[in-house]
Amino acid sequence: MSTIEEPATETRRWVGQSVPRKEDPKLLTGRAGYIGDVVLPGMLHGAVLRSPHAHARILSIDTSEAEALPGVVVVLTGATATGYVDPMPAFCAEPVEQRAIAVDRVRYPGEAVAAVAATDRYIAEDACARIRVEYEVLPALVDPVAAMDPSATKVHETLDSNVVFHRSLDWGEVDADLARAHTIVRSSARWHRMGAHPIETAGAVAHWDPFGESMTVWSNSNFINFLPWAFAGILRVSTNRLRMIPCTVGGSFGSKHLITKVISITGALSKACGRPVQYLEDRADNVAANDNVGCDRIYDAELALAEDGEMLGLVLRIIDDYGAYFQFAHGQHGNAVAQPVGPYRIGSLRYDVSCVLTNKVQQGFFRGAGADPGNFILERLVDKAALEMGIDRVELRRRNFIQPDQFPYKIPTGNIYDSGDYEAVLDRALEIAGLDAWRTEQERLRAEGRYLGIGLATCQERSGYNASEWWFLYGDEAPLPATSTPESCKIDVDAMGGVRATIGCPLWGNSPETVVGQVVAEEFGIDPSSVSVAYADSTSGAISAGPGGSRVTIMLSGATRGAARTVKDKMIRVAASAMEMDAEDVECVEGVFRAKGAPGTSMTMAEVGMRAHLFNDGTSKAESSGLVAVHTYDHPYFTPPTDDRSDLGAFYPMVSHACHIPIVEVDPETGEVTLRAYYVVNDCGTVMNPALVEGQVVGGIVQGIGAALMEEYRYGDSDGTLETPTLREYLLPSMHEVPEIVLEHLETPSPFTTYGVKGAGEGGRLVAPTAIASAVDDALRPLGVWVDELPMTPERVVGMVADAREGRR
Amino acid sequence: MKPAPFEYAAPRELDEALDLLAEHGDEARVLAGGQSLVRMMNARQVSPAVVIDINRVPGLDTLGLFGDNGSSTLRLGATVRQRTSELSGEVAAYAPLLAEAGAQVAHAPVRARGTVVGSVAFADPSAELPTALLALDGLVKVRSRAAERTVAADDFFTGPFRTSLAPDEMVVAVDVPAAPGRTGSAFVELTRRHGDLPVCGAAAVVGVGDDGRVSHVRVALCGADERPIRVPAVEAAVLGADGPAAFTEAAAVAADGTNPIPSCHGSADFRRHLARVLTARALRTAFARAASPKETTDA
Repeated sequence: MSTIEEPATETRRWVGQSVPRKEDPKLLTGRAGYIGDVVLPGMLHGAVLRSPHAHARILSIDTSEAEALPGVVVVLTGATATGYVDPMPAFCAEPVEQRAIAVDRVRYPGEAVAAVAATDRYIAEDACARIRVEYEVLPALVDPVAAMDPSATKVHETLDSNVVFHRSLDWGEVDADLARAHTIVRSSARWHRMGAHPIETAGAVAHWDPFGESMTVWSNSNFINFLPWAFAGILRVSTNRLRMIPCTVGGSFGSKHLITKVISITGALSKACGRPVQYLEDRADNVAANDNVGCDRIYDAELALAEDGEMLGLVLRIIDDYGAYFQFAHGQHGNAVAQPVGPYRIGSLRYDVSCVLTNKVQQGFFRGAGADPGNFILERLVDKAALEMGIDRVELRRRNFIQPDQFPYKIPTGNIYDSGDYEAVLDRALEIAGLDAWRTEQERLRAEGRYLGIGLATCQERSGYNASEWWFLYGDEAPLPATSTPESCKIDVDAMGGVRATIGCPLWGNSPETVVGQVVAEEFGIDPSSVSVAYADSTSGAISAGPGGSRVTIMLSGATRGAARTVKDKMIRVAASAMEMDAEDVECVEGVFRAKGAPGTSMTMAEVGMRAHLFNDGTSKAESSGLVAVHTYDHPYFTPPTDDRSDLGAFYPMVSHACHIPIVEVDPETGEVTLRAYYVVNDCGTVMNPALVEGQVVGGIVQGIGAALMEEYRYGDSDGTLETPTLREYLLPSMHEVPEIVLEHLETPSPFTTYGVKGAGEGGRLVAPTAIASAVDDALRPLGVWVDELPMTPERVVGMVADAREGRR
Repeated sequence: MKPAPFEYAAPRELDEALDLLAEHGDEARVLAGGQSLVRMMNARQVSPAVVIDINRVPGLDTLGLFGDNGSSTLRLGATVRQRTSELSGEVAAYAPLLAEAGAQVAHAPVRARGTVVGSVAFADPSAELPTALLALDGLVKVRSRAAERTVAADDFFTGPFRTSLAPDEMVVAVDVPAAPGRTGSAFVELTRRHGDLPVCGAAAVVGVGDDGRVSHVRVALCGADERPIRVPAVEAAVLGADGPAAFTEAAAVAADGTNPIPSCHGSADFRRHLARVLTARALRTAFARAASPKETTDA
């Protein structure tokens, strides 16, 4: 479906190759070991009863009929669960408490009110149907603007207002830039909430040992080796008595970092009955109550430009509907300020954000993580400026791109962009798209009354996240200091020369085994297929923030190379000692240790391995036996923010870039948008593995097509009912909606990372929505349509056409 | 998403199935393809005490033409799969609208199990096949233990997911009169996504007389009201028309007096708008096909 141009490989043997994916055979045969595959003796199955109301007081719960059902072992309400578990951890500074099962009051449709453990899932669901809950329905807060009114019902009595967080920060001379501007382009925009919807939902198996007061938890959470203490806190288990075991994750797209509610419910049920319990969300649970829907933003934005089109300053005023809780604080805005000015030399920024609580499931993280609407509004403003100023949209971008000789480039917020050549990417994209032919086709179709559109977007993909972004906008009151957000790899070479890597991150749908195999192969000169890769549980001490923020290839490369080199260096010393040479004269080439330049005497991996394990003759400089190294790779480039936040520091400095050119046809009568073709040029630094990057970019574009055209959580205006409770209402794109995607890479390596790699996990979704909006605009230009709201559903498109015709926009 | 407990019966004779229906009535649901029923049971939107699986009942998979002397009828039995209908040469020849509408139902794997009669009996107001049956002046053959009756499609659909079936009755077949000469038909729809239920769809059957004018016409809509509907006002306006220009004007009244069910996929107003747009398109294509059988699509 797409093509990739092979990047330059320099002198590397394995990094940069489309090495076959180690994960594929087990995934394709269904043998990868998901939560649903974990079966323990005596294991029970959980199910959860959820609130049908967006906002209600729980007056009473009668569980007697459920408890009487044969096969039911335990029924917990929010009140009884407090006997076993504590509230969710939160990264916010404000007092917003969330429990896995609501106590007294439900705050969003689908919030858990009771949980059951029974001998099978059928009985557990039968029991849920027999629990009687009496509610007093409260007014539902659906519209975030209405929720901001001081007289509105409060979602949390512990807060003074539903505006849980507000901050306005100026970086650079914003007012001066507005004053000296020749043109100020203004646009509102609406980005609705969307979610990840992985095939496998969130799930856990918990096994409480009442004698050891210890808990073992299997889960598809990402943070078992990053924040294991947070889980211990919820489960009321001491940190050294909690063991968390990773399972293969059946897709995440950023949505399974913590999954604390699922782990809490499973743990509480297991503690209550002393038996292992499995609880895996079903689709209804996941759609309604996952903790990780994306941004839900209303923008009021201005871009100030000089007469020649130079972009001077940017003003972003944002109301963001966070839903009922605030677990990750303003995290998605920390993310957005990593690249609010895109690839452009915009000198100043005003960022005014209000995070508002309403009666919806809370925001968390989802591929894009806040930079997705950021790219949308910025590129909309740029296109609008081009129109209003009569400058070609390509030319306007060229005039404002940060130039290759300006890197590393510090943007107004303080973040650093490492490297790039944006004009080269743009030029190549225009070339492969064959723009002239499409313009001719557009003219031809317009004569027939058909509307073809050519989109264009040039966007950033910040990568290698630093979790500090969740809390650093707080300033002095930040609950936590900046974090190094580390990643670890342990390498051991056994006595027969076999290389095993053990990593702290789980298999989250990406390709850590393949990447680690490539890096180990690169360092030792062995075949990647010979490297075995294992996943560490939380007792191994392998600190790992795991995938997220397009970081895992960057971080695993650093961790793996570090560990591999430590082991390799020791093997060189051991080999040198055995061969009676100086270590400086020995090298490792294709898995053989030999004299540099004079390959006569040599030792194999196995020979060195055996000697290092069992036959230390005391000559190798007092080094003990064994070949093991753990390398923990901290975030390669972060600097702390200043106290007043006038400089946020570098926190997301590996910045990929892409130009997307989608071709669409729009039916203005039905509002149907059809993608005809799609062209991408991507620069994510050194491409570790072209096949893997292709999968990430294409998959991201598919999700971007969903964001552009169909995906949206909808809630009833009056009562807050979730109107999209299944995937029949919340629509995900299918293969039928995806055109041929033509993909090429340019490579400007990062100076900050191992091998120069940058992230590539989110770029597709970060760029496609705004690129497709631009294409629809272009198609409907003769009708005067301006797209400022996603997704562009048929009804919205028809509405935009009608508004334009009647001069309402 | 697990169903509530239920009994499962797999009768091997029609009478046995009808006996079970007589015995359990409202408490029973008939299972043919299961593409809607099983999903709804899993979501506990329906929880029948008894599921009567009719797939083993002989004779219900009939698909063929009967009758003679110019009044032949196409019959599809209760277990004829949508995919079988869609690919049938007889359906293509005698009821091409049914084939065209059928090809727009969901995806091929769903159609391989789902049945034409099942879709009719389910009476989803958004679904293609009930609407096509309505436009074709189809008949619904109904049986109970006590009696057999034939109901005109227009009398069969009574509301959203509601029909004139009594609790002890089941649909055993649908009959479609074979299309006469110089008739064209078309089914057009808007879906949010390939294979989804349409937000709105329009079916048109247009006959053209020797004078080149519309001699008979039937238009039916889905997604435009609480049940699939015929649109007599449009039909009346189109009779006698001699070209596409008249169709847009006629279609302007397609949504008059309708009461569409709003959903997250389209408000009532948007569905009315689509009813007008799609009616005009269906008429244009059907007319073109009647005038020249090679004509297949509407630009």
